[in-house]
Amino acid sequence: MIFFDIGLTLALSICVIGIVYRVARWSGKWTSRTPHLSSGFFLWIVRAVKAVILDVLFLARSGRTSFLRWLAHSLVFFGFMGLLLFHAMDETVTATFFPFYESTLDPWQFLRNLFGAMTLVGLALMVYRRVRSTKLRLLTHFQDWAALLIIGCILLSGFLLEASKIMSPAVFDRMTDEYFVPGEVGDLTALKAYWAHEYGVVFSVEYPRDEETLELGASLDEDSCVDCHASTATAFVSRPLATALGPVAFALNTSRADQVFWYFHVIFCFIALAALPFGKFFHPVSTPINLVARQGRRDDLEEFQPSDVLRGVGMDACTRCGECSLHCSVAPAFTVLGNQNILPSEKLVSLKQFQTGEQMSQASLTAFSEGSRICTECLRCTDLCPSGINLQDLWIASKAQITKRAPSPNDLLRKKTAAQRARVFDDLCKSSSILPAVAGLADDSASYWACVQCTTCTSVCPVVAVCEDPSRDLDLLPQQIMNLLRMGLKEETLGARMVWSCTTCYKCQEHCPQNIRVADVLYELRNTVAARVRDGGASCEGNGESL
Amino acid sequence: MNESFFVVCCNRSEGAVKVKTLQTRVLIVGGGATGTGLARDLALRGVPCLLAERRDINAGASGGNHGLLHSGARYVASDMEAAVECREEGAILKAVAPQCIEDTGGLFVAVQGDDEQYVADFEGMCKKSRIPARQLDLGEARELEPLLSDKLISAYAVEDAAIDPFMLSLDNMAHALALGAQSIRNAKVIGFSMGNGRIQRALFLDETSGESFEVEAEIVVNATGAWAGIVAALAGADIHILYSSGSLLVTQDRLTKRVVNRLRKASDSDILVPGGTVSVLGTTSVTIDSPDDCRPTVAETDRIIEDAQAMIPILATTRYIRAYAGVRPLVLLGESGDARSVSRGFSLIDHARDNVDNFITITGGKLTTFRLMAEKTADMVCNKLGVTAPCVTRTEPLPASTMGRWTEPGLAPKSWVRNRDEADLILCECEMVSRNSIDSIIENMPGMRGNSMLKAIGLRSRVGKGPCQGGFCGLRITGHLYDQGHVSDEQGLTELKTFVGRRWRGFSPVLWGLPMVQADLQEALYCGALDMELDHNTDDFTCEDDE
Amino acid sequence: MTRNDDIYDVMVIGAGFAGMAAALFASAQGLKVVQTGATGGIDFSTGFIDLMGVHPIAEGKRWQNPWLAIEAVIRDCPKHPYGLLSKDEIFESVDTFTRFLAEQGLEYVGHFARNTCSVTPAGTIKRTYRVPKTAWNGSLALGKKAPTLIVDFHGLKGFSGTQLVETQKHHWPELKTVRIQFPGGHGELYPEHMAWALADPTVQEKMIAAIMPHAVDVEYLGFPAVLGLNDPQKVVDHLAELSGKHVFEIPTMPPSIAGPRLRAVFDRGLPSLGVCTHSQKMVTDVQVLDSGMFEFSVGTGAAKLSVTAKKAILATGRFFGKGLQAERKKLVEPVFDLPVVQPEAREQWHGQEFFAPQGHPVNSAGIEVDERLRPMDASGRPAYDNLYAAGAILAHHDWMRMKCGAGLAIATAYKAVKELMR
Repeated sequence: MIFFDIGLTLALSICVIGIVYRVARWSGKWTSRTPHLSSGFFLWIVRAVKAVILDVLFLARSGRTSFLRWLAHSLVFFGFMGLLLFHAMDETVTATFFPFYESTLDPWQFLRNLFGAMTLVGLALMVYRRVRSTKLRLLTHFQDWAALLIIGCILLSGFLLEASKIMSPAVFDRMTDEYFVPGEVGDLTALKAYWAHEYGVVFSVEYPRDEETLELGASLDEDSCVDCHASTATAFVSRPLATALGPVAFALNTSRADQVFWYFHVIFCFIALAALPFGKFFHPVSTPINLVARQGRRDDLEEFQPSDVLRGVGMDACTRCGECSLHCSVAPAFTVLGNQNILPSEKLVSLKQFQTGEQMSQASLTAFSEGSRICTECLRCTDLCPSGINLQDLWIASKAQITKRAPSPNDLLRKKTAAQRARVFDDLCKSSSILPAVAGLADDSASYWACVQCTTCTSVCPVVAVCEDPSRDLDLLPQQIMNLLRMGLKEETLGARMVWSCTTCYKCQEHCPQNIRVADVLYELRNTVAARVRDGGASCEGNGESL
Repeated sequence: MNESFFVVCCNRSEGAVKVKTLQTRVLIVGGGATGTGLARDLALRGVPCLLAERRDINAGASGGNHGLLHSGARYVASDMEAAVECREEGAILKAVAPQCIEDTGGLFVAVQGDDEQYVADFEGMCKKSRIPARQLDLGEARELEPLLSDKLISAYAVEDAAIDPFMLSLDNMAHALALGAQSIRNAKVIGFSMGNGRIQRALFLDETSGESFEVEAEIVVNATGAWAGIVAALAGADIHILYSSGSLLVTQDRLTKRVVNRLRKASDSDILVPGGTVSVLGTTSVTIDSPDDCRPTVAETDRIIEDAQAMIPILATTRYIRAYAGVRPLVLLGESGDARSVSRGFSLIDHARDNVDNFITITGGKLTTFRLMAEKTADMVCNKLGVTAPCVTRTEPLPASTMGRWTEPGLAPKSWVRNRDEADLILCECEMVSRNSIDSIIENMPGMRGNSMLKAIGLRSRVGKGPCQGGFCGLRITGHLYDQGHVSDEQGLTELKTFVGRRWRGFSPVLWGLPMVQADLQEALYCGALDMELDHNTDDFTCEDDE
Repeated sequence: MTRNDDIYDVMVIGAGFAGMAAALFASAQGLKVVQTGATGGIDFSTGFIDLMGVHPIAEGKRWQNPWLAIEAVIRDCPKHPYGLLSKDEIFESVDTFTRFLAEQGLEYVGHFARNTCSVTPAGTIKRTYRVPKTAWNGSLALGKKAPTLIVDFHGLKGFSGTQLVETQKHHWPELKTVRIQFPGGHGELYPEHMAWALADPTVQEKMIAAIMPHAVDVEYLGFPAVLGLNDPQKVVDHLAELSGKHVFEIPTMPPSIAGPRLRAVFDRGLPSLGVCTHSQKMVTDVQVLDSGMFEFSVGTGAAKLSVTAKKAILATGRFFGKGLQAERKKLVEPVFDLPVVQPEAREQWHGQEFFAPQGHPVNSAGIEVDERLRPMDASGRPAYDNLYAAGAILAHHDWMRMKCGAGLAIATAYKAVKELMR
C-alpha cells in the first residue's frame, strides 16, 4: 500500500515538524520572573496524577461550566480515543493485547460503531452548541468549523466505508477467493444467500431465501467465516446505513464505493494528523500538558509564577470553546463597542500574535490594547477555563507591553485642563459608532424645560460632597452642566471632570423635583465623548485643538 | 472705559437752594438707540455733548423691541421707502458693528390659509425695492428650519439679522464717552427755562435721590422716543403722538437658526427672532394712553401664540420665560388712524416752527434705522451750530466696549468654563454669571452706587433673564451687594423687591405650564418663607418671647 | 409593570406635609397605608410650621395669637378649610405631628397661643407657630436683642451675615457677623455637604476654634442651617458645649436642608409604622374598579407598578408639587381630573404687582371639598365616596400670604383620616 505508506509518512512528518515548531515557540518574549515551585516533588506527582484523572480524563473543568459541553466533549474524547487506539492503531495496540483480533469480529466491530456513534453524537452536540448561541456563533471562526468538519468527515467516511464494505460483493468475492473452499457446487450460492440475508451483502442477483439454502449457508459460514467475522448486526450504525443505502447499492457496488470511501477515510485521517500542530488542532497535545502543569488550580497564585514555557503552553492550550467569552464580566462592553478583543478568547489570539512577534496592523494593536485595558482582571475566565489556562496571568503580564505599543488616548487627555479637553472634543467629528444607552437627551432642549434652578442636583451629589473644592476638582457642578446644556452650550461641558467622575448613583435624578434626567444626561455625555475619541480622533473643521 | 461723572462748571444759587449747573454745547435728552447714536455721531464730529437719561440706557422702546435688523422685506408692500432704508442701514450696521449682530439670515413663510395674492406679489415687490429675496423649495425651507409647519405654501430667504440693542447702545455710549461726551443717568427733564425764543436752561430731577440740577446748552435735542410729545410740551411745542405698545415673548430655547417672518401683509405675531440662546416672538400693537403704561398682557400673549403657531407649531407647547413690551411712538401726520397705518418712518422736527430755535425733536423710526436718524439729527444740529465736520458713522467701525460685553448670551458661561478664577463662584445660575463678572460690572458704573444696583446689573448682563427670572439670583446677588457694602440698611431688600417686581411685569403674562411652577416656587420663597411682601416697618407687636 | 397585590385601606397620594401627615395619622389608626409621592414642596420648606399668621392679607395684618387669627379668618372667609375643623382638632393634629418628629430626633418647639418670631436669611422677621428646637435660641436672642454673632462662610451663596446685620441694625444693634472659611471646604459650598461634614466632631471643633476669637462679647451664636443632617440637636449641643454660648440655626435659601431633614424623618419613621412607601414616584393613572376601589398606576418605565386601595387621600400640593397644572387657558387637577375652582380666565390669575398685599387670585384656586373633606364634582356632590383631599390643593385659602401652609396641611390631613375612618 504505497499510497497509505507515503500518506502516513507525509502526514506524520508534517505533524512532528509542526509539533517541534510549536513547542519551540513556547518560549515567548515575556518579561517574566523566575519561577519556583512552592511544594515538594512528591506532592507535585500526586497533584499531577489527580489532574490527569480529573481534568484530562474526566474533563472535570468542562463539567463545571457547561453540562452540554462536558457531555459533547466527553463523547468525542472517549469515542475518538477509542477509535484511535483500537481501530486506527489496531495493528500496534489491539493486536498486541488480543492475538486473535480481527476488525470484523466483536467486540471490535461493535466498539468501532459505538465509539464512532459516540463521537458523532458528540460532534452534533458541539455543532448545536455553537449554532444555538448567537455570541458563540460570532466567535466561531474558520478553524473551529474546520475541526468539527474534519472529525465529522473521518467518521462519516468511516461509517460509509464500513457500510459499503458490508454491501460489497467485490469484497465478498475477494474474501471467498482467498479463504473459502467450496465442497460442493451449490455451496458458494448457499453461502452467498446466507451472507446476503444475514450479513447484508447486496449481490447483483437475487439469491434464494428458502430455509434449506440458508441452513446450508449458515453451516458453511460457521465453518469458514465465523472465526473472523461477527454478524454485522452488531455494526449497529453501519449495517442500518447499508440498508438505508439499499436503493443505490447497485451503483455503489459497481463503482467500488468501498475503495473510494477507503481513500476518503484515509485521506481525512492523514489531513487530521498533519493538521495536529496547527491552531486548535494542537490542543490534544497542549491541553493535557497544561492541565497537568496547573494541577487543578483555578486562580493565579502569587507564589506560583509561570515560566515563559508554561505561558506558552497555556496560550496553546486554548480549544476555542468560547466559555471564557460567554462568561466575561465586561462582555456588555463588547456588545456596545464591537471590539472582539474585549472577549478573552479573541484577545488570546491577538496576544499570541503579539507575543510571537507576528506582524500586526496598527488597527489590531489598538483593538488589542483596548481589550487589554477594558479587562477588569476579575478572574472569571481563568476560573472556568476548561483547559486550565492561567488567563489572568497572561492578561496582567502583557498589559504593560501592549499599552506601551498602543497607548490609550485617555492618558493624553488626562493631562489637559478641562477647557483644553473641551476644545479637543469639540474638534472631533460626531460619531455614531457607539450608541449611548440613552440617546439624544443632551441635545433635546425639552430635557431642560422643567429646570427651576433649585441646585438640588448638586446639593445631593456625593461626588461633590467628597471634594474639598468641588469647583476646582470637578470643573463644573451638575446644575452648571445642566444650565450649559440648556443654553445649547454642550461643547463646553464635555471636558469637565464632573462628567467623568460621576458614579451614576442617580441621587440627582431621583431628587430632582422636576424629574430632569440629570444622571442619564451625564452618562450620555460620557458616551458621546468616548465615541468621538475612539473613532481615532478624526478631526472636523472644529475650532479646537487636536489630540 | 469708565463713564465719567459730572463736570461741575459753576454753582448758581437760587434763593436758598444751591442748584448745580452743567454746561455743554448739545444736550441730548434720552438714552435710547437714537440718543446714544447721536452722542457718538456728534462726538465723532468733535461736538461736545451731554446725554441725560431719565432712567437708564434703553429704558424705552430701544429696550423693548424685537432685536431684529430688518432686511426690509417686511415693508415692501406697505412702505417702500422704509424698506429701502432698512436694506441700506442693515448693510451699514453689519459692516461697522458686527459684534452686536448675529447675521442669521431670515425666512418669509406662508402657510395654508394665508393671502395667496400677497405671496404672489411678494417677489416682485422685493425686486422693486432691490431687496434680495430668494424663493425656496418647501422641502429646503423645512430642512433649514425643521420646526416650520408642514402646511407651508411658500418660502423665501432674505437677509434679516439679529441685533443686540443693549450691546449696541452701550457700545455707542462707550465710544461717545471715550471721545469726550458725557452722560448722566436718573435725570428726568422736568422743565425748560425759556427766553428769546430759545431754551436757556433745562431743569432735571434725579428721581432716585430727589436732587435737581440744570443744564445749559446751545442746542437741545429731544431724543426721548415715546416721551417726545411730553418733553416737547415742556418747551411749548406740540407733537401729536400715538402710543402703540407692542408685546413680545421670550422662549427658553433658541428655536430657529434664522429669523422667521410670516409672509403676509404686516400684522401681529408675525416674527420669530433668535436672540443668542433664546428666541423672541412677536409682536402686537395696542394703543395705550401713556408711554408709562406699557406692559405685556395675558391677552396679547395668547393672541401672539394662537396666531404664530400656524407657522411654527411648537410655539404652542414650548416653554416661555417671560414677556416684555415696548412703546412705539407714532407721530400723527394728519388724521389719527390705526397704529399700523401711520408711517413707521421717523420724524425729525425743527422746533423753530414752534418758535423755539434751538430745540430739535427726533422720534419714531425703528431700531434698524437708528444710525440714519442720528445722522440726520446731527446734520441739523451741526447746521445750527455752524459745524462743518461731516458724518462718519456710515463707515467708522463701532468699537466693542467692556460695558456691553456681559449682555452677550453665552459669554458668561463660556468664560466661566474657559478662564475662571478658582476663587470665583456663580451668582446667577440660569445664565452662569459669576461674582467676578458682577463685580466688574459694578466697577464700571461708579455713578450707580446705591441706586437700583440690581436693575443696573440686570441691564448690563443676563442676570435675571433666565428661567428663574431673578427669583433665585436676586437673593444671592443682594447678599453679595450687602457683603461688599454696596447697599446698607434695608436698601438691599427694597431694591430686591423692586427688581423682582420689575421682572414680574414680564413674567406674569406667561404663567402657565412650567413658568407657573417657577412662579409658584418664587412666591413660596419670597412670601411664604421670607415674608417679604409684608411691611416690616409697621410691626403692631414686638417680638418678645418668654422663655 | 409590577403588580402589588395587597389591597390597602388607604392610598395617600403626595409626600409633602399633608401627605406625610396623612400617612402618619392613618397608620396610627391601624389602617393599612400605602403612600407615593415625588420630591416637591417639602424639600423647599424652611422647616417651620406655620399655623396662621396674616389676615386680612390685603392689610397685611399680623397676628400674635394664631387661634384668634383662625377665628377671624373663618368668620370672614367661611369657605376657608380651617372652617371645617375645630380648634381642638387643629391643635391635636399639630401636636401629634410634632410629637412624632420629636420621637425621630427632630424636636419642634413654640408657644400654645402665640406665634414665635424668627429671623430669615433675607433679614426679614418671620412669625410662625413651631420652629425646630435648633432654631429656638434664635428667637430668644431676637426677642431679647441679645449680643449675637452670626457666623457666615466663604462660598455659601444666598446667606449673608452682613445682610442680616444691616437690615436689623436699627432694631437689633448688638447683632454682629463674621465670615470664616469652612473647615475643609473651598470654593462654592452647598448646605447638604456642609451638614455632612459637620456631623464630625473634629470639624465642629475646628469651626468653633476659628469663631471664638470673634465671639468674645456675645451670648448667642447663629449659624446657617448646616449643623448636621440627621441629628442636628446633637451637633448644636456639642457646639454650645465647645463654645460656651447658646447656639442656633437660621434656615438658608434653597437648597436648604430643612426639607431633606423632614423627609429623612419620614423616610425612616413611616415604614417602621407599617406604611408602604413608594418614594420618588407619582401616580400616572387611576381606574375605579367595580367594587369602588381605586387602582392606581404609579411610576413610569421599568419601575411602574400598580396599587389598589379602598380609599384615597389626595394631597398632591399645588403647582410646584404637581397637584394642580396650569394649562394656558385653565387649571386642571391631573390625577382624578376633579373640577378646580378658579378665576374665569388666565387674565385674572395674577395681579399686576408681585408683592401686591392682596395676593394673587390663582393662589386661592384649588379643589373644593364638602364638610367631610371629599372633593366635589361639578354638581356639588362628592366626586367619589372614598376620595378625600388635604393640604395646599384645597381651594379658598392662600397659604403663602396667610402663613398657614404646614398647619393647614397637617390639620386637614388629620381631619381627612378621621372622616375616612367613619
